[in-house]
Amino acid sequence: MKRTLNRRTFLGTSAVATGIALAAPQIARAAGYPDRNIGVIIPTREGGGADRNFRAFTSIWKNKLNADFEPGFFPGASGRVGYEVYMGKKAPDAYSLIFGNMGPEVLNWAMQAPSFDVNDYFYFGRVDTDPGCLFVGVESPLKTLDDVIAEGKKRRLNVGTSRMAHPASIGLLALGEETGADFNLIPLSGGKNTVAGAVTGEVDFSVLTSGSVIAAGEAVKTLLVFGENRVGERLHNAPGMNDVYGTDLPEMLSSRAFAIHKKAADDFPERFETLTSTFKATFDDPALLEAYIASKGTPEYLNYGGVEECGAFMTAMLELGAKYKPLLSGA
Amino acid sequence: MGETTTILFEVFIDTIGYWWVIIPTIFLGLIVGGIPGFSAANTIIILMPLTLAMDLQTGLVFMVTLYCAARMGAGIPAILVNIPGTAGAAATPLDGYPMAKAGKGQQALAISFVSSSIGGLLTTLIALATMPLLARVGFYMHSVEMIVVMLFGISLIASIASQDMLKGLIAGFLGLMIGSIGTDVVYATPRGTFGFLELYDGVPLIPALVGLFAVSEAFIIIEKRVIVSHEGDVKTGSWHDTFEGVRIALRHWWHIVWTSVIGLIIGVIPGAGASIASFVAYQQSRSLSKTPELYGTGHPQGLIAPESANNGVTSGTLVPLLVLGIPGGATAAIMLVVMQYHGVSFGPSLFETQPEIGYGMFMAMAVAYLLMFLTILPLSRYMSHVTTIPTIYLAPMIISFTLVGGFVPREYMFDMYLALGFGLLGYIARRTGYHVAAILIGVILGPLLERYFLLALKKSDGDIMTLFSSKLGNVLWVALFFSLVLPAVFDWRRKRRELMGQQRKLVG
Repeated sequence: MKRTLNRRTFLGTSAVATGIALAAPQIARAAGYPDRNIGVIIPTREGGGADRNFRAFTSIWKNKLNADFEPGFFPGASGRVGYEVYMGKKAPDAYSLIFGNMGPEVLNWAMQAPSFDVNDYFYFGRVDTDPGCLFVGVESPLKTLDDVIAEGKKRRLNVGTSRMAHPASIGLLALGEETGADFNLIPLSGGKNTVAGAVTGEVDFSVLTSGSVIAAGEAVKTLLVFGENRVGERLHNAPGMNDVYGTDLPEMLSSRAFAIHKKAADDFPERFETLTSTFKATFDDPALLEAYIASKGTPEYLNYGGVEECGAFMTAMLELGAKYKPLLSGA
Repeated sequence: MGETTTILFEVFIDTIGYWWVIIPTIFLGLIVGGIPGFSAANTIIILMPLTLAMDLQTGLVFMVTLYCAARMGAGIPAILVNIPGTAGAAATPLDGYPMAKAGKGQQALAISFVSSSIGGLLTTLIALATMPLLARVGFYMHSVEMIVVMLFGISLIASIASQDMLKGLIAGFLGLMIGSIGTDVVYATPRGTFGFLELYDGVPLIPALVGLFAVSEAFIIIEKRVIVSHEGDVKTGSWHDTFEGVRIALRHWWHIVWTSVIGLIIGVIPGAGASIASFVAYQQSRSLSKTPELYGTGHPQGLIAPESANNGVTSGTLVPLLVLGIPGGATAAIMLVVMQYHGVSFGPSLFETQPEIGYGMFMAMAVAYLLMFLTILPLSRYMSHVTTIPTIYLAPMIISFTLVGGFVPREYMFDMYLALGFGLLGYIARRTGYHVAAILIGVILGPLLERYFLLALKKSDGDIMTLFSSKLGNVLWVALFFSLVLPAVFDWRRKRRELMGQQRKLVG
């Protein structure tokens, strides 16, 4: 039988084909995501705190998502390299995420804008919150917070920090504003050097993320936390800044979180929903706490946060960064 | 005292029982130390799941042995093919490679192994005996003092430049300029990065190292049939050559002692490391030598100094780690992670509550050095044959190995291109008579000098007189002055005596 293609048949067939073509990915998406591993950019070195934290968290998350996570380490420029690689080279298809630190890394953008629009990605899953703190070496003549403030009113105190654009640095500047003490931030390039600076007397004292201070053990004594002291004695029962001075400073946190391309969340809402729901379910699983303790994390710092909490924190960091930019960047 | 001795003896016997961990790890360490880009630090990271699964003492013996063996292993390619495995071995080829080229690779290896083993063993024992004192060194060596220490190392550029002052200084300044690439340490302002994000943290050391030394060397040796100048010289290598190397090293025992102590003291300072120690030791060795003109030509003392010093650093880095909980270097920082994982709390109490850990790490180091001496030394006879491999095979192997080595630390393709770029720069420098070591000293020590200088200025609100504000710093300034001026004075007097002697002969 001879068939001819007339205009009506052509338009009808085209409409059906177009409908199938448009619907097919949706069907496939809903049914198959994730059908391969999720790649995760980590903008710090392998073997560090972020790596351990990532492995502990994803060891539980992968069971909820039914997919494994493949980390890729892109350290450098205080995390900037990793973000540039993620935004510039990774497809926005929800198969690629970045596991960053919302505190210092977002502050980076306030100091020096990246090549991409910072609104083109967002954090959707906060894993932990680790407040910054002020600490002295055990042999320091400054024994109490009062000693620090009194001395800071007499002379300019040199204060070690891992880098200028760090939430703990902002906490210190806020303390100086509140008390009138004079502080001179000295960037000592990394947590290890910042602890060493306080212990050996290179600086008068230091400020740093509290997890690193806890790890320093007997060599240091914490005097103030730029947030809430959730670990009590392990930070020497140091009080929170807002409790001491009645300020309303937001918590100065190092806060690790997963982020995604905004375009991926917009184009693949079902995939994004799968990611966020399984992320939340991971927090509800008691096995997470066990994995976190096994990786020698501080379990008190495990702290779920969704899109809203992460967004609010990112905005606060950008605002504080803009406020203190002249002091932190020398601009 | 008696009780401590008993504990030390028990720990020593206990550590000997770990020979089954130590011996295989020695060979693993030699391999990872010898391959540029690999190091004890990144090997421990890669093997972290294995290390964490071991019981603590086994894990520590494994890590400490790997650390020592990798340090020693880095010297092997530095001597044989002019490729320092790590930045800590960057000063080793200055005299080691000329020896290998002259057909004395086997002697050079033996000298290196003996200096490394004795230097490492000796400083381990000194560290054990003087730990409380050594732990205080970091309390006195702050940014001002470290500026002077850096200048000791950087002044080596002037020594190298003495053969051709203009070219030497140009090479040194080029190195310093390359070393200043990256973000500044205070405000993280990018400088000279040409828009490459990969350069924000500065020029990565390993690609620079392998490029300047190894890749350029591969380009050079491809023009010859084999590395040795006198073909066939080492083909008949015998135990005699090894024993000759051992004899040479032992004849300079005092040199091993004091240069390894330089390494120990620099190792104790948090943030300082083997690269600084080896350059400072080399510079001091040359300055105090009666024959400074022989350095760079295959002089045994020029090989002993950096090898003893960089092995002295290994025990030094453990002191602040165990006493203060502050790691002295990258490998010690990873050991810290493993020890914290096992719940070890640091401080002087560690030696009372867990002596098998506190003293055990030093004992593991001492036993590792002893066993290394016995197991590695005989291999020098066979290793030295590398220099007789035809370059048509050797050069491609060097290039491929070192490019992978350049890639490994950060896993960026960019770093491989960078290594090639540095290779080209090194080749041009060699062909036109510029010294690549002078460039490398600038690249390695320049950023450290800048870091300490800017920190000192930031701490003093920009007051340049802060450089002379510390007593220890001032003592070091005076020592630096004399170590630069005295050799020149001695040289002038020696030349004058020679001239007068010649005149007397003519008159007579």
